[in-house]
Amino acid sequence: MAADTPLLSISDLVVTFKKGRQNVQAVAGVSFDVFEGETLGLVGESGCGKSTTGRAIVRIEEPTSGTVRIDGTDLTKLARRDLRKARTEIQMIFQDPVSSLNPRRRVKDIVAEPLDIWKTQTGDERAATVREMLEAVGLDPDVASERYPREFSGGQCQRISIARALVMKPKVLICDEMVSALDVSVQAQILNLVEDLKARYGLTLVFIAHDLAVVKNVSDRVAVMYLGRLCEIAPSDELYSRPAHPYTEALLSAVLEPDPSKEHSHVTLSGEPPSPIDPPSGCRFRTRCPKAEERCAAEVPELREIATGHQVACHFPTLRSTS
Amino acid sequence: MSGELVVDEGFPTEEETQGLLLKVTDLKTSFATPRGRVRAVDGVSLELGRGETLGIVGESGSGKTVLSRSIMGLLPRRTTTQSGSIVFDGTEIVGAEDKTLRTLWGAKIAMVFQDPMTSLNPVVRIERQITESLRLHTSMDKAEAKATAISLLGQVGIPSPTERVRNYPHQLSGGMRQRVTIAIALACSPRLLLADEPTTGLDVTVQAQILDLLSSLQQERHMAVILVTHDLGVVATRTDKIAVMYAGRIVETTTTRRLFADMAMPYTKALLNSTPRISDPSHTRLTAIDGRPPDLINPPPGCAFAPRCESATDQCRTEAPPLRPAPSDPTHLFACWNPLPGGTAGRVTTLEESP
Repeated sequence: MAADTPLLSISDLVVTFKKGRQNVQAVAGVSFDVFEGETLGLVGESGCGKSTTGRAIVRIEEPTSGTVRIDGTDLTKLARRDLRKARTEIQMIFQDPVSSLNPRRRVKDIVAEPLDIWKTQTGDERAATVREMLEAVGLDPDVASERYPREFSGGQCQRISIARALVMKPKVLICDEMVSALDVSVQAQILNLVEDLKARYGLTLVFIAHDLAVVKNVSDRVAVMYLGRLCEIAPSDELYSRPAHPYTEALLSAVLEPDPSKEHSHVTLSGEPPSPIDPPSGCRFRTRCPKAEERCAAEVPELREIATGHQVACHFPTLRSTS
Repeated sequence: MSGELVVDEGFPTEEETQGLLLKVTDLKTSFATPRGRVRAVDGVSLELGRGETLGIVGESGSGKTVLSRSIMGLLPRRTTTQSGSIVFDGTEIVGAEDKTLRTLWGAKIAMVFQDPMTSLNPVVRIERQITESLRLHTSMDKAEAKATAISLLGQVGIPSPTERVRNYPHQLSGGMRQRVTIAIALACSPRLLLADEPTTGLDVTVQAQILDLLSSLQQERHMAVILVTHDLGVVATRTDKIAVMYAGRIVETTTTRRLFADMAMPYTKALLNSTPRISDPSHTRLTAIDGRPPDLINPPPGCAFAPRCESATDQCRTEAPPLRPAPSDPTHLFACWNPLPGGTAGRVTTLEESP
């Protein structure tokens, strides 16, 4: 799975928005690596900055500071023209499949648009690639090619956006809540498809979602965000079985399992995240944390390793034995 | 609650604590559209006792929302055709006049919708949105109604309710707004609360808070609740019984415990197996259901799930299965010609080899 050097390396990423005269730090210094062939899940509640992180990686949102390196190239330093070229390597899939497709274009043209922009393929070759991509995402090219997005269901539209994202054979795919608008039966189809395509095209994925079960299903490693910062990052099975950060524990205990025999043992978090305009000093989670002490207000906890590949940003992490 | 609420005066009579609150019989609701008639609810029967919680589960287009709106009597008259009967607490809802419905809405039957931003009036303070039904249905004066509104906000877990009652909806977060809509729905102590995807747009921690709030309020007030959702996780521990809907029909219904322990309908099982679970190892291959739900304008003959069902036979494709009781338990109803053998709820999972 993991090579020694990461394919995608994000270092101290900061994204600041202006809100009136105030500045909102949506992402406040986030660093992580993604290795080739790996899926990194990014979870957190709304407003935690997970989507902004994803968008800043491809520079849909301009990072205020920090670096995003893919294969050693720093995307944040690239001029517009070079950035466009670099984006063929790193593609994004959005939450709402219907609004991310142009309603006035036929499916074959939507999928072929990246090819047309780069003029890498024309004529028969272009048509063959479109067919290949549509087949790869489970659509019948003979039926789908000439149609418009409105003739497809949400799940099928998401398949079309996947085909479009993959047509330039990118190395990295950023999926931002790509299944959250879909019904469970369709969600399962798309999640299985993503796993198949990842194997077939050797993709590296950053999978952003709020649904912890979905993220666990697709990810090799999972990073948890809270109010613009990373709380914890670990291999998925490790993170879900031995969460060390109190926020991760709270998130996991709030998940509802479709099983009536499992009574909920809520570590119920009271209240809601504070405003990112005026975040708490020190640890940003301390205002809702059952373990918070004075040190948490004074000192920002840095990410530190507590087990192999398991990093946590907390002064008082829960340490569990590896049995 | 204090004695200020005068809707249910005195002690509940025997009739009020026992027996059925809601009885739906062969309800059919359809809409006229340019493409043809959409049979959104196609012959649904169900019963709900006082203080009971029923979960209605289904995917989009299964008819679960139309069913809940039919019970509420909230569908547009001009395009809707209804037959069958909905008897709520002795009152027939199908074909009832607005005058009759107005005495029920808010007072005896209330609804919480999915999106609190669109169900709240953006230009009216929270206070007036809560006191509106109190002033209409009870004899409270302005001051009493305001005091009740503040007490309700406190009950639904809104901090500093005395100040919050002066707020407009945009000043509250999504979770807070949903708490406000619950406070509005509960204002007159309804006997039935319909909650249509009440936590769908909310974060997991807030979702848990809202569902806990709903169940504790329900027990306090001995209120019946219909929880409409697409999420089996939401209904698994919060309901007494569950009705699974597919293509406008109830395809399986029984107590929550029995449903999860011994489901009979392949669709119910497929729905459960396609839900990713936190207890499964990562990269567990999901058992997806191929295809998608049928078009409700031209539903297939026979069982509506047959085109997607693994155990479908020729009989399934030609003849619609009736909702019939399970041999082992007459309260467990399902509509399937080839039900799963007993005790098959345990799911079969295959671990995908990592490439």
